[in-house]
Amino acid sequence: MIDILNNFFGGVASVMAVGPIAGIIAGVCVGIFFGAIPGISAIMAIAIILPLTFYVDPIIGITMLLAVYKAGIYGGSISAILINTPGAAASFLTAQDGHALTKAGKAGKALAMALYASVTGEALATLVLIFVAAPISVISLQAGPIEKVFLLIFAFTVVGSMTGESIPRGILSCCLGMLFAMVGMSSITGATRFTFGVPELMSGFTFLPLLIGVLVMPEVIDAIKNRKMPHHDLVLSKSANPDDNRVTWKEYRSVFGTLIKSTGIGTFIGALPGLGSSAAAFLAYGEAKRTSKNPEEFGKGSLKGIAAAESANNAVCGSSMIPMLTLSIPGDDVTALLMGAFLIHGITPGPTIFYEHTDVIYAIFAGFLITDLFLLIIARAGFGFWTKIASIQRYYIFPCVTVFAIAGAFTTNQDMYDVLILICFTVFGYGMRLVGLNPAAFIIGFILTPLLEQNLDQAIAIVGTDYSMIAASPFAWIFTALSAFSVYSAMRMKKKGKKKAAATQNASEQAA
Amino acid sequence: MNRRKIDVAFTSLLIIVSLVILSSDKLVEGGMETDLGSLFLPRIVAVFIILFSVMIGIPSLAKLLKNAPLGGLERIDTTGFLGIGIYIAILVAYWAAIPHVGFLIATPIAMFSIAVLLEGRNWPVMAAVSVLTPLAVYYGSSTFLRVFLPTWSLS
Repeated sequence: MIDILNNFFGGVASVMAVGPIAGIIAGVCVGIFFGAIPGISAIMAIAIILPLTFYVDPIIGITMLLAVYKAGIYGGSISAILINTPGAAASFLTAQDGHALTKAGKAGKALAMALYASVTGEALATLVLIFVAAPISVISLQAGPIEKVFLLIFAFTVVGSMTGESIPRGILSCCLGMLFAMVGMSSITGATRFTFGVPELMSGFTFLPLLIGVLVMPEVIDAIKNRKMPHHDLVLSKSANPDDNRVTWKEYRSVFGTLIKSTGIGTFIGALPGLGSSAAAFLAYGEAKRTSKNPEEFGKGSLKGIAAAESANNAVCGSSMIPMLTLSIPGDDVTALLMGAFLIHGITPGPTIFYEHTDVIYAIFAGFLITDLFLLIIARAGFGFWTKIASIQRYYIFPCVTVFAIAGAFTTNQDMYDVLILICFTVFGYGMRLVGLNPAAFIIGFILTPLLEQNLDQAIAIVGTDYSMIAASPFAWIFTALSAFSVYSAMRMKKKGKKKAAATQNASEQAA
Repeated sequence: MNRRKIDVAFTSLLIIVSLVILSSDKLVEGGMETDLGSLFLPRIVAVFIILFSVMIGIPSLAKLLKNAPLGGLERIDTTGFLGIGIYIAILVAYWAAIPHVGFLIATPIAMFSIAVLLEGRNWPVMAAVSVLTPLAVYYGSSTFLRVFLPTWSLS
């Protein structure tokens, strides 16, 4: 514990410099800006900013990306509250209660509660990350190549079974990502695979264009597809009572219990790979409603509803880094992207990160906490400005996003071939969404396959011809059992979901 | 659009590709010999792709043959697909034009076209955004990132 505190204060000292602070401020502004625009998610903002971080120190670059992430998640609640357009599924519940308050002339109160809940959730989850990640990494350091192979198989199974529309589609997405990762020269044997004589394929698919193509550009395509839908214009009515446009200390105290409980739910859900912020927000909201004295207020402008959804949603930001930093398992699309950013900066996430890059990782943790402070100040100071951002027309935004994406793809190797990769994977990524395949599972498969291949090769070298040795480790059995359990629980969850949907449909048919 | 037909088509394609990976040795060139070989992991993945493709394709084919009513997720709304085609065409034309006319000339045209595609009709502001954004990106990337975006090469 003392070591963690020492390292943490060392990290605070590293991050308290002009570069990292400027990076955090820029990241917060960019994150809120992009998050506030309907149709642009935090992941899109991170992907666009990622190339800019190649040329700066990892502490500056990664803290900036994390600031974009945190601020982008909060920014999503601005458009949800003001114009009832949740940028992500996780903001759906915030939109329900927040927009009801906006219609009552209390937009300021809804935005302030979303901000305080976001910052509280993020800060507490970050503290959990700081104090839990290093001890977990000590345990996971015991794992050798054999255990890592089983751990990675567990990761593929969990992510594939939890993230897809159905288990086969989720795991198939992951398998496709694995297959694409094996194009080009093998780092182990030096052989070239699946290149078909095309020299550009020798080095495989460049990560950033592939990532932007699969995860970001389909959102632009969605905007193009829905271009005939009317733009939500921002019409705000403001109450004359100043208390209607702020959260009083009494109100904050009244929701504090909900904040703590929802943060706990968000932190727990975030630490489990594959579930993500939507599940956390829905669970926390349901729990807050269940235990509330006035459950009928939920969905009609309840402050507790906003507090529950936003704190749980944002708590996921911090805790989703736990499996990524300790076990090399990115739990969702954003952490997959952040893992890519760590790799680009020459830092391999995993248990050794706490020993090989102690200064960097604790500086990033400190930056994570300082980001909350800047988010609070910048978002609170610029409420008026951020509300205007939410009403920017899409025909100004998406052409700019396209150009940033193309310039970002070119920046990687300064090669037009990467732009072609971007275009191809844009079509591929959109096609994946159409047929119900999951882009996040695809990206996670793509990122983790080189690690799997390397560890598999080392594991085989260790056991020689006695292949039964692979199953001798207790970790192997534990992870195999966990993989089977994750598939079983995903099957149960999907079955329950189907039953619930059928029951709701029956009830609505009977009512009609 | 009926997604079941697409399911059957794409899973059939994946099964064929996986069978090629399983049966052909020409997909790998050079490299040193190891216990597992360079095609060990791709072939394991190919087996899983066949397995899960069958799990997706067979039920879709069965429902297609039975003419079962479409579920919510099995119907693909094709409204706006023409716009997607035009957007992809703009991207491809932009990619082809950049090496010849340069980033600063190709980008405003591409941005303006995308803005028009998105039903933008505020011409002066759209034109200003289309010209100023590429200038800012070009200046920023060359000055701060030392990344030089392609310039005019028609001569």
